[in-house]
Amino acid sequence: MSDKTKNTGKSKLLKRRIRRRDFIKGGIAGSALLAGSGIFAPRIIRADTPSITIGSFQDNAMVPFHEYFIKEFTTKTGIAVNYNETNYDTWYQNCKNDGLNKTGAYDIYVMDDNWVPEFAAGKIVQSLDQLGFKANPDILPAGLEMGLWPPKSGARMKDFANDKPELYSIVIIDDVEILYYNKDFFPTAPVTWDDIYNVAKTTKAPDMYGWSPRGVKGNPIMMTYLPLLNSYGGNFVNPDWTPGFAGPEGVGALSRLFSFIPYMPDGVAEYDTDQEVQLMLEGKCTALTEYTGLAQRVDDPSSSKVVGKINMAATPKQVKSGPAIGTFIASVSSGAKNPQGAVQFLEWFTSSETQLEFARKYGGAAVTGSALSDPEAVQKHRWLPAIADAVNNSVEKPRTPDEPKMEDILGTALNEALVEAIAAKANYDAIAQKHLSAAADQITAYLKQQGGYF
Amino acid sequence: MTTATNIVVEREGRVQRLRAASVPYLLLLPAVIALAAVSLYPTLDGIRASLHRFRYGLDMGFTGGDNFTAVYNDPVFWQAIGTTALFVAFVVSIETLLGLLLALLVARELRFAGLIRVALILPMTIAPVVVGVIWRLLYASDIGVVDPLFQALGLGAPHVLAHPLSAFLGLVTVDVWEWTPLLFLIILAGLQSMPQDPLEAARVDGASALQTFFHHTLPLLRPVLLVAVVLRTIDAVGTFDQIFVLTKGGPGVSTQLISIYAYNTAFLFNQYGRAMAMLIGVLVVLILLMVAAVRLMRRSSQVIE
Repeated sequence: MSDKTKNTGKSKLLKRRIRRRDFIKGGIAGSALLAGSGIFAPRIIRADTPSITIGSFQDNAMVPFHEYFIKEFTTKTGIAVNYNETNYDTWYQNCKNDGLNKTGAYDIYVMDDNWVPEFAAGKIVQSLDQLGFKANPDILPAGLEMGLWPPKSGARMKDFANDKPELYSIVIIDDVEILYYNKDFFPTAPVTWDDIYNVAKTTKAPDMYGWSPRGVKGNPIMMTYLPLLNSYGGNFVNPDWTPGFAGPEGVGALSRLFSFIPYMPDGVAEYDTDQEVQLMLEGKCTALTEYTGLAQRVDDPSSSKVVGKINMAATPKQVKSGPAIGTFIASVSSGAKNPQGAVQFLEWFTSSETQLEFARKYGGAAVTGSALSDPEAVQKHRWLPAIADAVNNSVEKPRTPDEPKMEDILGTALNEALVEAIAAKANYDAIAQKHLSAAADQITAYLKQQGGYF
Repeated sequence: MTTATNIVVEREGRVQRLRAASVPYLLLLPAVIALAAVSLYPTLDGIRASLHRFRYGLDMGFTGGDNFTAVYNDPVFWQAIGTTALFVAFVVSIETLLGLLLALLVARELRFAGLIRVALILPMTIAPVVVGVIWRLLYASDIGVVDPLFQALGLGAPHVLAHPLSAFLGLVTVDVWEWTPLLFLIILAGLQSMPQDPLEAARVDGASALQTFFHHTLPLLRPVLLVAVVLRTIDAVGTFDQIFVLTKGGPGVSTQLISIYAYNTAFLFNQYGRAMAMLIGVLVVLILLMVAAVRLMRRSSQVIE
């Protein structure tokens, strides 16, 4: 094409004014083409097609759920499922606002189990019992009870002292802390914390550590301490809401954690999940407690140097085993547009058949006893019995909307104690006692101020 | 007839004057509405929330001054206020000093002055969350570069974020790195718009560089410095992103500024009323400080004039 021709063409184009009518015509033609090509077809749900909308926070454990199971549900029932997820904090606020205002943007909320007290007491979610939900009797009781409000056992707030527990949420993934240990150092599963300590004493930092904990203030260090506290016979709170960690059991548990200081990384007070787990994946620690999500990663050669070397068991006991439980739990929103469709989905997903597929196909932390003990699933995914064992022995955190504040107080005190113990390298009992007593006083004062406890 | 015509003319004139007088207000109205919607309404709603009790995600009703009393009696609140005051004092004074030094350096016709200016401004253009992530990677005791650097120099690894004092100083460093450019820019603008006559006169009179700086440059720069310090103080009190990413207020409560504590109180502990009471308290103190600073500015301007 000559320059002249090009210029003429350009000037013609410039001269031609795009009229409103042309624009609309073009738009209609383009829309028809796109619709015909089916580009948007999967996103369009016809008004007469039954559908449900599920919202969740992002987590790797949810991948099989949204990549496979919701499509399976649609195939089997004809009910379309819209799925949205966002980060944890944003989702918590989103679903809370949706439920409080009964907006009905979602039919099902996927939640963390410690949201249940607030969401159930505030009627942000509906009672599954009243919606006619039939809980599968195969679901492990410890997981199932996480969805009850008020709680079936343990400390209860006064406002709900005489209420009959109702099921507001149903567990969909039994996430629980389990022990990961390196078989090169432990020919058999360690049973007590002393077993772990005895092996830790033989390690030489920085090439190999005897323990890898989370030390960051708040929830991270709480997840390190709670299995220790429970195993030493202590409690976060007693049934009368008095703190149960400032006595000899709690002090003994914290002193045990401090006894690992020479065999832990120096900067452990700033360790969160990523750093803690990285040590294990690099083959630099003999043992740690962590949630079930790590189970598949230790065998992934792209991220792990210890493929096949790590085994799993229930967290160690001293007087008993007591891992912390942190289930993924689902509820029907207060403003759900299709509550019956939501109930149908939850019954289907927690059925023994679906959970068996979840365990066999993905090695997921299934919620039913039969799936976690299924020989075929266990042969493919060796961690499943450890999950069942841990769930059966798990200890739940206090069931109150004030739990996050209580956790923050104790989690801050634990972090301060750890920093002091690392600096002092001695007097562990005294350091533990000082910080735990202060935290107990602070929690009691807070609960008294809030009212409804004593 | 004449009287009636006069009355009509007078009335029309009055209407026209009224119309003319109301035009500026009408033109301002959209901006006022927008400002009220995004600024005034949230503030008023915040004040309302501070007088209410929230439980189970629900507004349980008017509770008077209970939230303010609870905040007043909360030792963690006062700890957070103390940490915030210390943080602000550190960062604002260091940033002002560094900003002044850099501005004095760059204001002179140096080679590559333009390039230096761009390089100095860069940290400020990065989003605070990204700044937090960058420094977290630098400070991390397992994969960071700060610990190996200290070790290479024959010093022990500081594990910056694992100890209260080093974590606090680490955050001050991050803030200084990020916000010194703001002070630098403001002060540089002040230096470049400064009248040159008094400075030249001082030089002719044989004043040394230091004498010129302390007796002429600094007094002339005082109003600009005050504006810079006031702006930076307001901003520093609300520092949140970097701390949230780097330490979440730890170890212990050593880096827990009031912004972090109020955020946790509202969104983690679900105590919206109490969080608002905290922030209103801080707002009142800030307003008082700002009023004092503005008065100081006016007085210093009058002195210069």
